[in-house]
Amino acid sequence: MQGERKKGWWILGVLVGLGFVVLPLFIEGYWIRVLTSIFMYAIITAALNIIAGYAGYAAFGNIVFFGVGAYTTAMLMLRVGFYWWTGALIGGLLAAIYAILLGIPILRLRGHYFAIATLGINRATEQIALDWGSFTGGGKGITLPLPKMEIQNFYAMIYFIMLGLLLVTILVNYVISRSRLGYALRAIRDNEDAAEASGIFAPRCKIVAWAISAFITGVTGGVFAYWFSFIEPATVFDIMIAVKAFVMMMLGGAGTVLGPVIGAFLIEVISETVWGQFLTLHMLILGIIMVGVVILIPRGMLSLFGRKFSLAALWRNIKNQAV
Amino acid sequence: MIANGIFLGAIYANIAVGFSLAWGVMDVINVAHGTLIVIGAYVTFILFKTVGLDPFVTIPFSMALLFLIGYVAQKYLLNFVVKVGIFLSLVLTFGLDLVLINGVLLTFTGDYRSVTPGYSGTFFQLGTLTIPYVRLATLIICIFLAALLQLFMVKTRTGQAIRATSQNRQAAEMIGVNVAKIYSITLGISAALAGACGSLISIVQSFTPFEGGFFIMKAFIICVLGGLGNILGAVIGGLVLGLVETLGARVFGTGFQEAISAIIMILVLIFMPKGIVGSKYK
Repeated sequence: MQGERKKGWWILGVLVGLGFVVLPLFIEGYWIRVLTSIFMYAIITAALNIIAGYAGYAAFGNIVFFGVGAYTTAMLMLRVGFYWWTGALIGGLLAAIYAILLGIPILRLRGHYFAIATLGINRATEQIALDWGSFTGGGKGITLPLPKMEIQNFYAMIYFIMLGLLLVTILVNYVISRSRLGYALRAIRDNEDAAEASGIFAPRCKIVAWAISAFITGVTGGVFAYWFSFIEPATVFDIMIAVKAFVMMMLGGAGTVLGPVIGAFLIEVISETVWGQFLTLHMLILGIIMVGVVILIPRGMLSLFGRKFSLAALWRNIKNQAV
Repeated sequence: MIANGIFLGAIYANIAVGFSLAWGVMDVINVAHGTLIVIGAYVTFILFKTVGLDPFVTIPFSMALLFLIGYVAQKYLLNFVVKVGIFLSLVLTFGLDLVLINGVLLTFTGDYRSVTPGYSGTFFQLGTLTIPYVRLATLIICIFLAALLQLFMVKTRTGQAIRATSQNRQAAEMIGVNVAKIYSITLGISAALAGACGSLISIVQSFTPFEGGFFIMKAFIICVLGGLGNILGAVIGGLVLGLVETLGARVFGTGFQEAISAIIMILVLIFMPKGIVGSKYK
């Protein structure tokens, strides 16, 4: 029974994946771009999930790796003449190295202090990209070399790259959730001192998790730079991307394999179809959704399945956790 | 130079005192604190433009309104999540921040606003120093508010209950403190201080609905510098940051100012995690 049900989910997952592979044949350019950006958010959210969902470290400034990846790719393409994909890979590697170097001192901080430190790092890095104008182009931003192919084909290619990256990220999440590392991270999240007492070397686990998260985010930043062919500090270090990723992760369920991806799809689809009509209210509604998610389903949507859903139970949960 | 640094530091200290109170007592990082300051500035703006009240007289009004906002936000929203963990309270206050920013934006549009009473350009000479009256008054009010808060925390029953809750929530509950109510009052006071700060800031600089992010970044740095949940810490952290920024701008130019203060914050976090003063309310 349990096994059969599991098989059903696997088949459903493969079907959805195949659906996205053939979808570009049937939809127009606009929706291809929308879906590409949804994939991008899903990747960022799933990468954030590794450090924030499993290990419980609120890396609010995780978007710094996105910026590092984007700028590395842009610099390598412009100044050295690399291909975009070598640029993006090296961007991911640099982001991971950045995470390791920063992680050694910063991941010792706990709770709010870690969150604030990552915010500070994002801010400082953005400011350096802004002020070091002679190298990075400063606040005016930089334009990357344009792709030498037809624009439709280019967008389709980016679509498949993002889709592939998303599948890899989900796979990484799955592998981590089943591995020793995943168990160690969850133990750290629940009680770091107890985890260390039972033989987990917490610093190494946290740094590895953050480096993986940074690598994925960095590569995504590189692909984004190539896709938009123009980047500026204000877009690639935008803290709102990280905040949105946090909401998506919590909506779907932090520390689950598919929750963050589902959350990203939900929020982005709503944002494209509904909020697009009311531009001025867009952020207001996002804020209300954030408040609602936190109060009503703090453990994410996936936590609603499995148990019988009832408003009474929901209310009881809310009452129980109140001060 | 130094006088400018001290003045900037007093404003910074004022930004951080309320923020630090909420963080220290409830372990809540109120990301919306910056926007609460902006709302305080708008209260002064309206009263000054419509009724013609002196900007300094508007301070009690913005404090009262902001106390109400803080109290309600804590009672009906934050109280449901503070016990669970930092993720939830962080995301919740981020959401509140978005709601407040866009509420202000819809009401007042994104134009630059400023409050300019008739005496805003006047100053007096002290030796070689030129001291504007407005800045001196702001400095005095900042000191007065910090002292008042300290007095409240030490002398009144409510203040004592807040300190008790901050030290140990369960123990406070056991001796009959209504923790939910104390939390609501704490965020109310924290927001009221933000309101006073906003009123003062509106007199010395122009503002838009988006200014909050800048204030909150300063508040982070100051709290980390001075040590958490401690009025003296916030004051010292604010003064240090004000002086460092004024001197740093002279030495390095204004460009790298923000990067420098962010890097200083990270270094302090790593090497002096308790800040200059350290320790919670005692």
